[in-house]
Order: sequence, then structure tokens, then C-alpha cells
Amino acid sequence: MKLTKLLIFCVSSLLFSVIAVAQDVTVNGVITDESGMPVPGATIVLKGTTKSTASDFDGKFQIQSPSTGVLTVTFIGYAPVTEAVNGKTKITIQLKPESQSLNEVVVVGYGTQKKSVVTGAISSVKAADLEKVPNGRVEQSLQGRVAGVSVAAVSGQPGEKSKVRIRGITTFREGGNDPLWVVDGIAVDANAIGFINQSDIESIEVLKDAASAAIYGTRAATGVILVTTKKGKSGKISVNYNGFAGVSGPAKKLNLLNASQYGSVMNDKSLADGGGIKYPNPSSLGKGTDWQDAIFNNNAFRYTHELSISGGGEKSTFYASFGIQDQEGIVATEISNYTKKNFRLNSTHKISDYFTFGQTFGYTHQKTKGIGNTNSEFGGPLSSAINLDPLTPLVVTDPAVASTGFYTNPNVVRDPNGNPYGISSLVQQEMTNPLAYTQTRLGGYSWSDDFVGNAYLEANITSHLKFRTTLGGKLAYWGDQGFTPVFFLNPNMKADKNSYSQNNNKSFSWTLENILTYANKFGDHSINILAGQGAYVENIGGKIGVTMFGLPITSYKDASFNFDIPQTDRVNVSEDFVEHKLASLFLRANYDYLEKYLFTGIVRRDGSTRFGENKKFGVFPSFSLGWVISKEGFWKENNVVNTLKLRGGYGVVGNDNIDDFKYRGLVVGGYNYSVGNTGSITTGYGNSTLPNADLGWEETSQTTVGLDAKLFNDFTLALDYYKKRTKGILRDVVIPGYVGVVDKPSANIADMNNSGFEVELGYKKRLGDFNLGVNANVAYLKNEITYVGSSTNYIVGDASFQSMGPVTRTQVGHSFNEFYGFKTAGIFQNDAEVAAYKNAAGGLIQPNAKPGDFRWTDTNGDGTITDDDKQFLGTNIPKYTFGLTINLDYKNFDFMAFTQGSAGSKIFQGLRRLDILNANYQTSALGHWSGEGSTNDYPRLTNNDPNKNFTNMSDFYLENGNYLRLKIVQVGYTLPTGLSSKIGSDKIRFYLTGENLFTITKYTGYDPEIGGQVYGVDKGVYPQARSILLGANVQF
Amino acid sequence: MKTINYKYIYIAIALSILGSCSEDFVTIDPKGKFDSSTYFSSEQECYSALIGVYDPLRKNTGGFENMVAMLNAGSDDFYAGGGSSTDGTGIQNFSTHSLTSISIPGSFWSDHFQGVARANMLLTKLPGSPTSEASKVRFAGEAKALRALYYFNLVRMFKNLPLVLVPLTAQTIYDPEQVKPEVIYAQIEKDLLEAIPALPNNVDAKTESGRLNKGAAQAILGKVYLFEGKNADAAAVLAQVNGTPGATNQYGNKLLPEFSDLWVTTNKFNAESILEVSHSSAGNTDWSFWGQGKDEGNSLNQMIGPRGYSRPKGSDAPDLPSGWAFNPATQKLFDTMKDDPRLGATILNIKALKAAGKADYIPAYQDTGYFLNKYLPRATDVRTGGGNQELNYKQNSYVIRLADTYLMEAEALGSGARAQALLDAVRTRVGLPSVPVTLAAIKNERRMELAGEGHRFFDLVRWGDAAAALSDRGFDAGTDEILPIPYTELNGTKLKQNPNYQ
Repeated sequence: MKLTKLLIFCVSSLLFSVIAVAQDVTVNGVITDESGMPVPGATIVLKGTTKSTASDFDGKFQIQSPSTGVLTVTFIGYAPVTEAVNGKTKITIQLKPESQSLNEVVVVGYGTQKKSVVTGAISSVKAADLEKVPNGRVEQSLQGRVAGVSVAAVSGQPGEKSKVRIRGITTFREGGNDPLWVVDGIAVDANAIGFINQSDIESIEVLKDAASAAIYGTRAATGVILVTTKKGKSGKISVNYNGFAGVSGPAKKLNLLNASQYGSVMNDKSLADGGGIKYPNPSSLGKGTDWQDAIFNNNAFRYTHELSISGGGEKSTFYASFGIQDQEGIVATEISNYTKKNFRLNSTHKISDYFTFGQTFGYTHQKTKGIGNTNSEFGGPLSSAINLDPLTPLVVTDPAVASTGFYTNPNVVRDPNGNPYGISSLVQQEMTNPLAYTQTRLGGYSWSDDFVGNAYLEANITSHLKFRTTLGGKLAYWGDQGFTPVFFLNPNMKADKNSYSQNNNKSFSWTLENILTYANKFGDHSINILAGQGAYVENIGGKIGVTMFGLPITSYKDASFNFDIPQTDRVNVSEDFVEHKLASLFLRANYDYLEKYLFTGIVRRDGSTRFGENKKFGVFPSFSLGWVISKEGFWKENNVVNTLKLRGGYGVVGNDNIDDFKYRGLVVGGYNYSVGNTGSITTGYGNSTLPNADLGWEETSQTTVGLDAKLFNDFTLALDYYKKRTKGILRDVVIPGYVGVVDKPSANIADMNNSGFEVELGYKKRLGDFNLGVNANVAYLKNEITYVGSSTNYIVGDASFQSMGPVTRTQVGHSFNEFYGFKTAGIFQNDAEVAAYKNAAGGLIQPNAKPGDFRWTDTNGDGTITDDDKQFLGTNIPKYTFGLTINLDYKNFDFMAFTQGSAGSKIFQGLRRLDILNANYQTSALGHWSGEGSTNDYPRLTNNDPNKNFTNMSDFYLENGNYLRLKIVQVGYTLPTGLSSKIGSDKIRFYLTGENLFTITKYTGYDPEIGGQVYGVDKGVYPQARSILLGANVQF
Repeated sequence: MKTINYKYIYIAIALSILGSCSEDFVTIDPKGKFDSSTYFSSEQECYSALIGVYDPLRKNTGGFENMVAMLNAGSDDFYAGGGSSTDGTGIQNFSTHSLTSISIPGSFWSDHFQGVARANMLLTKLPGSPTSEASKVRFAGEAKALRALYYFNLVRMFKNLPLVLVPLTAQTIYDPEQVKPEVIYAQIEKDLLEAIPALPNNVDAKTESGRLNKGAAQAILGKVYLFEGKNADAAAVLAQVNGTPGATNQYGNKLLPEFSDLWVTTNKFNAESILEVSHSSAGNTDWSFWGQGKDEGNSLNQMIGPRGYSRPKGSDAPDLPSGWAFNPATQKLFDTMKDDPRLGATILNIKALKAAGKADYIPAYQDTGYFLNKYLPRATDVRTGGGNQELNYKQNSYVIRLADTYLMEAEALGSGARAQALLDAVRTRVGLPSVPVTLAAIKNERRMELAGEGHRFFDLVRWGDAAAALSDRGFDAGTDEILPIPYTELNGTKLKQNPNYQ
């Protein structure tokens, strides 16, 4: 089909050049939609020229054309229409919505495929879907848009990555679960994907099932996300500007005790321990310091400007873009900020009838200032604001106080007026005055420069046979720098010598792929065969960092390595990265009969440097089938089910995302000892690992069945059911300590199943002046561990909280890292209840308990409370994730609302430091047990806590994690074409965007969206911002 | 048709090229690390491996989970302390003798076994390596003595151990079984008896301080005999170390004239030191590798300091960096010691300083106001260069010093003129009059002389006094003399948990 089109195009171009002298006519036309309503703003191009115009408000247009000219009409959401003028001067051209078009294509990896014949589970997000999303990181643009893809922000720090999981997790290793991102054919590390600029994206395809992803073999077990950047189109030059600016603020504050509440709670606590009243008159303490107010910024500024130019002639096309974005953080803004500057140039060139050359190139500079800990109970401004007592003043203005105690330390941090920032004598350790803390981190930032590009040469050997060779590369530089002045924040957090440090990393990756494709039709049979070979090398590079101590300066502004600092006050760190290489062969065959019976088969063989000689290579096969029932002869055309396709597939994919050299017995340095009396250190060597040549691939097999349908003319529906099984999960295994090696070996020790159901529903309808589009998706996911080794049925969980130890457990029959702890059964209201809680032998089950303490459930019924009584308390993996987008246009107005959420998970709310006895509480502590009948939910407060009410992991810490968030609302107005065309513009649109306007949730922490190391463990997550943005979009 | 033929030819060529070179393409060698199959190919490599065997010695006072802080906390002289009852579950639970197989820090088991494993590897590879005969003898002697010391710590803590003397492989990991403690002790004796003749009388002070000499191995052996109840053997070998009480021994060791000089940070490898653990501030340790092999700092120094310490201007209180308030001394120890001349060097009474308005600090968990002065750093000890200051204290610590071997020999002898002379020598040094030598007098002297150095818990258990001394600390006789084996050691192995910890 395509080739014929190309032929027609070439011939007609030739004809134009010959008949260019033909007489011009003035064509007056009208563009209508399928219901006959006028379509304003459609682009009409005279084929083979750069001449173009746009339809006006009534769908009318006028263009000068040769009488033999051909017009092409394009409009977003509609299929392009080609109409020959044939000497007519009046033309009516009817557009049909794109979804009706059978030619919609999706990117499938090493090529594209017509959507109607795709047999895998592939979801697409197109440029049009992203246009209304404020430019942030690319992962966020996927959130809530694709069924089966869960996206959760790791923190609300601007520029911070989000955690993306496709159809659940695939392995136990945290980093091993990131999907494979492929940008224009180049694999990009999930941590570095932030370099891509959202508005440069033409489409994002998510290969969800193994049958589609198998073409990426060893790296595909976690799913593959293909990002295709925009290319220029032949025809007129188009210029697009989009920009917005606005303010952000926190969506929520925690309810913490104010000073008088704090005083009375601390009194209660002291009395419960047999102590005296600590604050004789708590109400006189007033409100005290609100540390949250001190760090939150309700007016964090944010802006984005983007400009793209694209176009091209018959031989060459180009797309160039420039962008800048700057976003202030809402927490401690002075040290929380993100900027991104990017440039892109993509072009294709038809060198001859046989050869085409193309390239993509993107450069991005990012700079991030961060507050330090974004989800940690160990310090940082958020954690400090939650834990600091409200009695300590923000700034000490009383000179009498400022000359005593801690404030006599010469290194205390002072405000611009010279007054010392308050230092708490009640709450210390890592908890520090956040304003003072901010002053010690000024001028520190991390940065990155990414250069990603590829170049390809394609040869059309025959009309059926194509050869393409692609060379891709990624050069990344990143690092950080910072200056720490001399400071005293509290006796634990101080520096007596200043320091200045820089760390610089460089890494280069390259990819070479050679691909041969053969496509042909034999009567009703179509075949398409792709054979490829690839070599991939990444991580060529290393790291160098220097820290100097004791610079003769006080401000970061003066920091420099040019100071002459003695060698003893310089510390260097350096590292050579370990290269990671893959050698691959792959083959894909597509076959269809009348586009009715469809088949795809893929096999890929990968060799990886990460496996030992016995298991170096892995072979990954897959196949999928499709049946377009609605094309069968027996199918009667009807208005209920317009089209229906059944599809299904099975495939096996691998995962080599493990540490290097896990299969070798290594002798490493670093087992040092100081020998001699000079204090010098001698490097010692020892075995760190045992050799294991049999270390094998982790294999994920997946079966998917699904259907695609068009219903009632206006609805599209995609249903998918899948079952994903990972076998031989690689995990660092705990070997007995008597073996005497430090590094845990990896072994294929566990199996896990994920199964789920996904629904994507679309609706598009034009009702008079109203144009309505709705997209909804829901996914259900069930994760179950099926094997963790022959000698045990569980492994210790990955999430821990302070002294509680692990708060999750991974056990056969349960989900990965399920919450695991004691179950509470109310609170003992009096001594009689404590005494009545007896075991069979008549002994007390909780001998240490007092009234006001939790009654722990004696799960195993052995009459004592031990670790064996812990039980599973709920999963942190949401069972349901969903998203809903509504687009509504009315004349020149447009409206978009996007909501997303998840349900069926629990959140561990661990915001308070347990080992800091005077740490502040949330206001829920006001309802603590205070006598018989006072409460059955919140135990008594005591410092000793002999019953471990607070230091036991229990359901007390777990909260419902369900939420529904109105993520984006946008209202836009497009100026009438008549007005915008006065400045030669095709379109001028203004819009107002609200981001994260509200969230419906019962969760009492900042934000229920928690994508930390283990989902759903909140140790004080940097919350996401609520933003109001005003923007403009101008097109020429 | 011709193009199709070309295609096949192309694919055939491509496949053959790939097939031949891809195996090499995807094989890489580690950089900056060695493969165990080719290591030990020079004397230098063997020496580096020997340093690796010394490395776990730092367990005495290095890392949060260090022997001295732990053993102090479990004795009647100190509490765990720290920020709260949950600050370091392991040390807290040992202090209340409520350890479980989960709360026992696994490193007390595994760090010592790392030393054993590295010694095993070196002893296996040394004979076939191109190392000079003299070095082979000395290296092997050191490796054996260290292996004996590590097993000695292990057997006293955990009692029921697997005896591993050769490197384990991926195939043999799960084979070892526990043996009777007598078997372990026999191996310890054997290793030490083989090591003693192989070790030099003296080491070069500048370049070799910290490496074992003959006297160190003898001192360990004497202590081992004492713990086995082989008093005659203990007395015999300790006499070799002690020589004439109060005089210089054959290795040049002598009691320091001034007790407090033992705790001067710069006074490393002094005459009284027999087996000393080396710490250094030159490691630039930061939190990222604290507690692993590369950190060389003394962590006990940081752990025992008072929280939030400050002094008003002009105060004559010592200038202390703040610490984490672990190991506060008990009132009992303070009261017992209050008339002993060693009190000041042993305990710093910050409570009194605070009461006098000379200093302030934040009382932490189990605060008594008494801080372990022997290892309490001064502001001048704070590292000002690279790394975190908390992790780069450089004070060495003693495993065995001459006063200790005097008292051990006296205890082994039990009575007699030599025992009396040994006891007197220790007392005379601090200006105390002679008391008649009895077991009770020796016990008391050990407590006063060695308070806070990590000996007390093992001494109480050896004497059978633990149950009485620790009754108020939750000590259960018949259980808490030894520690539970970490649960990770039982998972899939042939090991069995210690009695009453199942």
C-alpha cells in the first residue's frame, strides 16, 4: 500500500514539474466533518508545493491551484484526505475521524504496524494526548493513560523520576523492575529518561505483553516503552510555540500539635511514666512554631517555553525544537529547584530512489537543587518540620537567650539580621531547624548533560527488500557539586571545617543494528519478515570526584578548587564503570490472510556480559495470533459491534539487569588495616564472592488474550487478560555467615506470578458544536509469590522502619513485600482486661501490658506474644489503577479534565521518629488513651513503651491508600481564525491549567502517591505540588 | 531471484561472523579486582591477603556493633544507653539479656567468620605461592593466631560452632555441622601452639606495629587455657609473657608508670600493650562504608560521648565532642570504684560537672551521668580532614595488656608468692597498698583495672558469677551465658540453635 502511494506521489510530483505551466484556478472549498458540520482550522496544502491555507470558522477556504492540482487536507483527529481539483472551482471535502481510519499505525519495535493487524498488547499515547499536559518528566505523561502501567512519583521534588511498572513487578530487585525505554531505537536508562522533552514526542508505545516485547529479548521482561520523536513533514514550514507560567504550592499540610497541645501531650506522657508535669501551663505556650509554614512555599514559580520548527520538501524533512523549563520546589525553595534546557534536531533525507538517510539528535541540560532526603525519617527539612517541637523558635531574637547554651557556639547559623536560628534542645539527632539547614546547603546542585542520537541509512534493495543500518549513541555527563560551610545546627549536626566538592561522571553507550526486512503480498497472503543483528555497549566511562576541606572562605559563591589546600585535606573518589555488553540476533515474521487471520512470531538470542560461561546466551521466543471476526463473511454489518478482533499470544523474555560479575569469585581490596605506628593504612585483600558459573537468566513468560472492538460507531474498546510468570528470579541470597564472604551471591531463587485484567475504553462524538472525547482505563493486578526456595517459604521484606526492622515480608501465597506485623485487637481499658487476657496455662499473654496498651492478637495461639504472632496486614501494591480523560470542545472553547487514582493498597505512615522521645506528634495523638473508655484506637503515650505500642510493626501504622486525584484540568480558548490570521498565524490559543487540584483520599499523610523503594512506605515523602498555570499556544 | 540469493549470503556471513566473535564480545574481566583462581601469585598479594585477615580485629572497637560496647552493655558495670530503648536493638537486648535469634546482630558471628575464612584461604594458598620461606612461616603463624583469636571470640559468645578450616565453595556452603566446644578449643590451642614458634619476638615499631609477636600469641593462649579451666597450662604460658612482676618482660613489655597514660590517644603501642587493635583517622570514613572493611576509625569513641555536650565560657570541664551516650556506667560500678585511684581515668562524672554549672548535656536513655572516660574522646581528637568526624577517631584499643596478663596469671596460680607479686604490681602502679591474694581480690582487681574494656561479661560467666551479678538485668542462668545464633545461620544449614533460644 505504502509503496503504491509513494509511487503515485513520485509520479504526480514529476507531473507537476512538467505541467507547472498549467493555468491556475481559484478554488473555493468547504471542509466538513462526517456529519456535514464545518471544520475550522483544517490545513489545506497544494500537493508538491509549499502553498497552503487553513479553513475559516465556517470551514471555508480559498486557494490558488493549477486546474490539475491535488489538495491534501489534514486536521487533528481526522484522516488526511486527498482531492484532485480537476478544474473545479468549488469543492466540498468531507473528513472522517481518524479512528475510523484503517491506516492508523503503531510503533512495534524496529518498525511500525497497522493497528488493525497488531496481535500484541500495545498501548499508544499520541502527541495530541500529551499537548495539554504541563511539561514535566516523561513518565508522568503516562500516568493514568495506559491500562496496566502504574506510575507513581518517588517524590514531589521537581525533576524527580517516577516509578513506572508495566503489568506489575517482574523481579525482586528494585532497579530490575524499571521498564526498557527505547528512544528512537536507542535504549536509555530509566534514570536518565528525564532528558526527553515531552513536546518533542510524536508517540509513546507501551509493549505490555511478552509477545510484543520479545523483540527486545533480554531487556524486555519488565515491558518496553518506545518513544518516537517528531519528524518534519513535507509541505509548509510549521512553527509551534507553547509556553506557560504559574505558581505551585503544597496541596496539604499535616495536622501537627501546636505548642500548647504539645505541652499537654508531653505532660500526659510524663505522668504516664510516673514523672511530673513538664509544662505547668500548656495553654500559655500558645501556638508556637509551625515548622511546616517555615518550609512550604505557596508561591513556587514555574514556567516553560517551547518552540519547534518543522517542515521539508520532497527530499528532506526536518524537525527542530528548543525548550526551557524552570520549576521551583514547594519545600525549602532555596534548595529545591529544577531547570531543563533542551534542543532537538531530527531530519530525513532521500538521497536517491534507493537510499534514505535519517538522523535524530537531542541535547538536554538539567540542573536540580534538592533538599536531600525526600522520603526518609533521617533528617532533611520535611522530616525536621514533622518532628521538631513547636516550642523552639524559628529565630532567636532575645539577646539574653542568644548568648547562652548552644547559641554560644561560634558556628551557629544566623539569619540575615544576625539572629541565630532556633536550636531545639528537646529534639535533636538529625532533626534541625530547616531554615538553618537550608543555609548550609546553598549553592549545591546536581546536573546532567545528555547527548542522544542516531543515524541510519536505509537501502531499498528491491521494492520488497529493505536493508537498514542504524548507529546510535548516548553520551552522558552528570555530576553534582556543593559547598558545606562551617555550621552548628545541633550537637549532632555540625561541621567544624567547611568543604567543597565536585563529582563528575561520564558514560558513553553505543548501539549498532543491522536489519533486513522483506515484505510482500502473494494474493491474499501478506508476509513481513525482519531479521536483525545488534551489538550494544553501555557504561563506558567513570567517575571522578574531589572534596577539599578547610577553604579560607565562608560562602559557596567563593568556593573554588583553585585554593591551595594541603593534600591531607583533599579527598578523592574515582571509579571506572563496568561495561555492559549485549550481542543479539533477532527474527520476526508477520503473516496475515486478508488482514483477517494474523500471526506474529519472534525469536531473539542475546548474549550478555553479566552471565557466566555456562549461561552466557539466552534464547527468547514468542508468538501471537489474531482473528478479525468482523471481516468474516458471516459477520453482518451492524451498529452494535462495528469491528471485532480477537488476539492472543505467548512469549518468554529475559532480564539481565543484575550486578556485574555475579558469576565470578572475586578477590577485592578494602579489607584494610592500619599497620605501623604512623596511622597509615595498608590495603588488605580478600574473597568477596564465591564463583558460580551456573548463574542463569531470569525468565518471564507471559500469556495474553485480548480483544479490540469498535462499538456503536463511537466507542473503542480494548480488553486484555494476562498471566505473567517469572521463573528463577535473581536475588542476592543470604548465605550463612560462617562462609565468610561479604558480598551476597545472586542465585535464581524465586518464582512469582502477576495476573491482571485491563480495560481501555474510548468514546468520541461530535454533537452539534460539541466535540466530546472520553478515554477511560482500569487495570486490575494480582501479584503472588509462588516460590522462594526449597528450605523456606518466605524472605525478609525490603522495607524497614527505624528500630522496627522489616515491616514487610515476601512469602509464598502473598504479594511481594506485603505488610507484615502484629494485629491489634483494641486497647486494654483496665487492669481487669489485662489480667483476663490469659493463655491456657493461666499465665498472662501480655505480662508487660498496662491499661492503655494495645492488645496484640495471639495469632498462633501459643499463649505468648512473639514474632511468630505477626501476620500479613495488607498489600502495598494497588489492586486497581485507573484513569479518566474527558475532552470537550465547544466552538472556540476547549476543556480537558484528567483524573487518575488507585485502590486496594495500604500505606505505612511512618513520619515520626520513635527514638526521639520529644518528637512532635500529629494531632491524632490528642486522642491518645487517657483512661478507661477514652479510646480503643490510640494507645497511651509513654517514653518506655514496654508493650511496644509504637515500636512494634502493627496495623496501627497502616492506612487505606485509595485515592482519586484530579490531576489536570485545562480550559482553553482559541482565537477566531480571522483574528489570528491577521498576524499570519494558523492558531492562537490561551489556556488555564490546574494541576493536582484535589485528591480524594482517607490517607492522613501528605500524599497517597508514594513510589519509594517499596511502594506505600511513607517516611515523609516530598508532596506533589498543586499548580495553577496560564499558557499560550501559537502556531504558524 | 538474485537479490534473494544475496540476502541469504548476507545472512550467512553475518551469522558466521557473529557466531565466532560474540562469545568474546560479551566476556569482560573485572577491573581493579582479581579473580580468586589467579590471586596469590606473589608475596605482595599474600601480604595483602594477610592484612585482610587482620582486618576483622577492628571488631573490638570499630563499627556500631563492636565487641567492647556490646560486652560492656551486657555486664553489670554499664548499660546499653543510647537515644532510646530501641536505639540499636541488639545492644539494648543484650543489656537486658533478652536477645533473640533475630535481634542478635549477625555481625558478631559473621565478622569473625570472615576473619576465619580469609585465614583459611591464605593458609590454603600460601604453600603454593612464590613467597619467601621466611614470610611463608611468619604469615602462616599470624594467620593461625588470628584464626584462633576469632574462634576464641566466637566460642565464648556462641559456644556451638561449625569448625571451618578450608575455604568453602558454592557446592559445600551447606555442609558444615556444629562440633563440641572442646573441639573448637582444641583447634584454637593447636593453631596458637603452631603460631608461637613462627612469630618474631618483636616487630618493627614504625612499619609493623599491630602485627602479632610471640608474646601476643602466648597471651591469647594463656587466656584460652584460663577459659578452659586449664590453670596450670595458663600459668605456665602467661609466665612467659609476664616475666618478673613489675619488671620488663622478654618482649620489652612493662606496666606504664601512670595509669591514665594508657588512654592518651597518641600513646599507641606503648610498653604495656600486648595485643592492640589499630585505628586510624586517615581512612576518611563516611557513612556510606561505615562498619565495612574500609573504615579504620574507633567507633566506640563516638558512641560513648554525651549527647548535646556544651560548656559555658571559662569552664574547666573537659572539651568534649558530643556523642551518642551509649555505655553509661552503672551507679553500682561508680559506687564500687569511688575510692579507687583509677576512677577518674575510668569514669568522667559529667553529672557532677552539670550540677556545678561547668558543663551541660542532654541526658539520654539510661543516663547516669557517668561516662566511660578511658575511651571518651576530647575535642582535640576530632578528625578535621576528610570523612565524617564521628567515624574517624583514631584511638587504639587493647585486647590484652600486661596488667591483664598479670591478673590472669595470678588467677591461674590462685595463691602463692608469685600470685601475690603479680597482684601487688598492678596495685602498686596506681598507688594502692597490697592486699592478700585471693580469688575475690583478683576478681575485684580485674573489675577495677579493666572496667569498660569489654572483659567483665566473659569474666562473670567464667567465674560463674553472672547469674548473681546480672540478676537485676534479666539474666537467666543456663541461657544467657551464651548468645543466640543469628537466625540467618539456621536457614537451610545443618546448624542448630543454642539451648533455650529455639
